[in-house]
Amino acid sequence: MKQESMFSTRVYPVLFMVALTVVFISAVSGIFLTTEERVRLNESIFQKRAVLYAAGIDFPRDNPPKIQEIYEDRVQEVGGEQGQPDYFRVELPSGETGYAVYVRGAGLWGEIVSIFGFRQDLETFTGVEFVEQNETPGLGARITEQWYKEQFRGKSGPFQLVAEGASDSPDELDALTGASRTSEAVLKIANKAAEEARETVEQGGE
Amino acid sequence: MATRGKMKKTFTDPLGKNNPVFAQVLGICSTLAVTNKLENTVIMSLGVIFTTTLSGVTISALRKLIPGRVRMMAETLIIASFVIIVDITLRAYMPDVWQQLGPYVGLIITNCIIMGRAEAFAMNNSAGLSLIDGLSSGIGYAYVLIVIAFFRELMGTGELWGITILGDWWTNWAIMVMPPGAFFMLAIFVWVVKGAILKEEEAAK
Amino acid sequence: MSESAYPIAIFFAAIFTNNILLSNYLGMCSFLSVSRELKTSFGLGVAVIFVMTSTSMLNWVVYYKILEPLGIEYLRFIVFIIVIAAFVQLVEMIIERVSEVLYAALGIFLPLITVNCAILGVSLFMVIRDYTFVESITFGLGSGIGWFLAILAMAGIRQKLKRARIPHGLEGAGITLIITGMMALAFMGFSGMLQIG
Repeated sequence: MKQESMFSTRVYPVLFMVALTVVFISAVSGIFLTTEERVRLNESIFQKRAVLYAAGIDFPRDNPPKIQEIYEDRVQEVGGEQGQPDYFRVELPSGETGYAVYVRGAGLWGEIVSIFGFRQDLETFTGVEFVEQNETPGLGARITEQWYKEQFRGKSGPFQLVAEGASDSPDELDALTGASRTSEAVLKIANKAAEEARETVEQGGE
Repeated sequence: MATRGKMKKTFTDPLGKNNPVFAQVLGICSTLAVTNKLENTVIMSLGVIFTTTLSGVTISALRKLIPGRVRMMAETLIIASFVIIVDITLRAYMPDVWQQLGPYVGLIITNCIIMGRAEAFAMNNSAGLSLIDGLSSGIGYAYVLIVIAFFRELMGTGELWGITILGDWWTNWAIMVMPPGAFFMLAIFVWVVKGAILKEEEAAK
Repeated sequence: MSESAYPIAIFFAAIFTNNILLSNYLGMCSFLSVSRELKTSFGLGVAVIFVMTSTSMLNWVVYYKILEPLGIEYLRFIVFIIVIAAFVQLVEMIIERVSEVLYAALGIFLPLITVNCAILGVSLFMVIRDYTFVESITFGLGSGIGWFLAILAMAGIRQKLKRARIPHGLEGAGITLIITGMMALAFMGFSGMLQIG
């Protein structure tokens, strides 16, 4: 009798938790492993899309094979390792050779990782894509909105910030209402982008 | 054996007066943050419905086996596992949305509604009834947030689901996409619903 | 700005400009139900600061020293919540034995904390934002203090509100949410005071 109560108060709960943990963790791990391949594919497509977008090349957003095709046609990865090149050499829609470079900088909450696209002069932006950012949703995170990113095309620095929706010359950038810190962080990144790009590309021997 | 009437009541209760969001203002933490975009809210809500339903069924099926002392731990483990499944699935099949939702998917675990329904309902009822309860609690929760997201995105950006609805004549209310907008919208929603319920009660007298 | 000053910036941002409650909506459940009384709000606030700082530390170690080397980061949700629950249980047991006064003051709040989304939120944000160990601690501490300030301010306002006339439909949750919205607006006003980057 005593042994049984000992079993039900001490041993059983532990056994139960162990069994439950094993069952659920293996189920979750199984699902993780079956989707791992897909996740990796997503990530590589994500990077390719970002490069194409920054270079201003049109592509169908939801068609991975097509994106792959356009990418292989237009973009050449230079240096670095597989999947993490130093920079990208791109054939721009105009036919001229452009470059796309990773530029990193501090945001309000964490690092902002962006890919800037340049024309051959390494001065004029062809566009930008923010690959990683942790800005406040609804405020700073609006840097990922289309209209905000589009404003970079054809501009060259050094820049100054103007009120949201007010930029009308090539050295002005729109700020975001309610996200002064993020706007300034992006300004800083944009201002140093050309110089970093020139260094990276020169190191690549061009 | 559950009667038809009980099943129906289990389903309709959380959709109306006993809706967890405006009756008790529970569980808004994890999802309110993503209500500035309708698309994110809908996906997030589906995740919540999936988790409430399946965790309700699982906990209810195991309720006679779960020892009292580790009840909370067991429930948390089950809920967390389902949330991870949601996270992994989103990451593999909807990477864009996954990236925007960020940490908020994980926070479904601490959504008070899921834990609350598990404790209050699934521990005492059959798996079938828990399924209905989980489903309707999830739906009751989802529609409130979807209504909020609808107004926030429409008024804040003039768009719905990323498609421009209101033309150039509309001045975007920046406040709606900022954090305070969510609080105001939810307050207005609670006010309207509660006002209607109070009026109904008065008329019934 | 130098690298070493970054944690300080995170600390103040977490308290004011990006208050975890007012801009990320985390910890709303206990915020709405407990903020009725100033005294209980104070107790819960202190407990949150303590647990948030400690669990952000613990979870950082667990994530970067155990989960990442093993390649099982995808289990972080389960692991984090269990670490938090176990830590809270442990603290409860310790203060129950060590100090009766402390237990009477904080004990009842500890079970509430496990399900406080803000605690888990801090751990998840810390991982997503790639914080270093020191940054994680200051982020946890700052978020805790920010939450504490918000609930204290709310409790003070609600005590005054007891004698105010409010439309019936707005009583309780409604008016609390509106005030929270105003507080969020007010805290946004702090956003000019930080220089990061």
